Amino acid sequence: MTEKFDENRRKLIKQSISASTLVLVAASGLTIPRVLLAHWPQDAFNAETLEDAILTFLGEAEEVNDEAIQFTIGSPPTYAVNGATVPVEISSSLQNIQRVAFLVEKNPFPLAMALEPTSAMSFPFKTMLKVAEDSEVIAMVKADDKLYRTSRYVEIDIGGCA
Amino acid sequence: MAIKSRDRIRAKLQDGNTVVRILLAHPMHTGRGKNEQDELIPAEFIQDIRCWRNEDEVLTIKCGTATSRNPYFAFQLIGGEAGDVIRLRWVDNVGAKGTAETTVV
Repeated sequence: MTEKFDENRRKLIKQSISASTLVLVAASGLTIPRVLLAHWPQDAFNAETLEDAILTFLGEAEEVNDEAIQFTIGSPPTYAVNGATVPVEISSSLQNIQRVAFLVEKNPFPLAMALEPTSAMSFPFKTMLKVAEDSEVIAMVKADDKLYRTSRYVEIDIGGCA
Repeated sequence: MAIKSRDRIRAKLQDGNTVVRILLAHPMHTGRGKNEQDELIPAEFIQDIRCWRNEDEVLTIKCGTATSRNPYFAFQLIGGEAGDVIRLRWVDNVGAKGTAETTVV
């Protein structure tokens, strides 16, 4: 009698262990995307003002307005019909570029895109951004721990931040 | 989740450098847009794109919601030769992933 009871007990313990392991596996499975994306700078992309976004993402550094960055936005420049696809092109003669960031001042979240180039990459870099309304668009380049900043004003016919 | 992958990537030599062009197929919902029934479409956008040439990582692009639908990127890599393999991986905020690969011509 006691033997049978013991056997049942063992079975129960075994089952409960495997059940809890399953739960653990499921829980860790759910968290995988979060772990993978841990390196995405969430605070910077969710910052609602330009200053916050720049501070969080690029940190404090001396800003230099510089002609070493060639930056065009819109097609033809400074104008775009559709705010959902505004072409942006940046090139720079600077060396040791660590980071490049595009910020759209009037967007709900100003930080639009960030690049982390290596020495193997060279410019120009082209892409398309969404711009909600007529706005200042800022390109910031961090090279040799200095921040360089250029901005362009772009006029938008149809807002594109849906 | 993500639409059927039609990611395109092209790389070619030009004046000794490699010109890479990328076109990803992704809706890039910001979380503020609405559908026909006037309901909010949940956010779904690419957050992280990494590129490799052969085995070396050459560029990381981090995107916010302000990247256009079906994102397009073009950039150059210094040097390179025909036959180099350019690889790319992207991850979006809901955990969908995609890869694309091409050889330099």
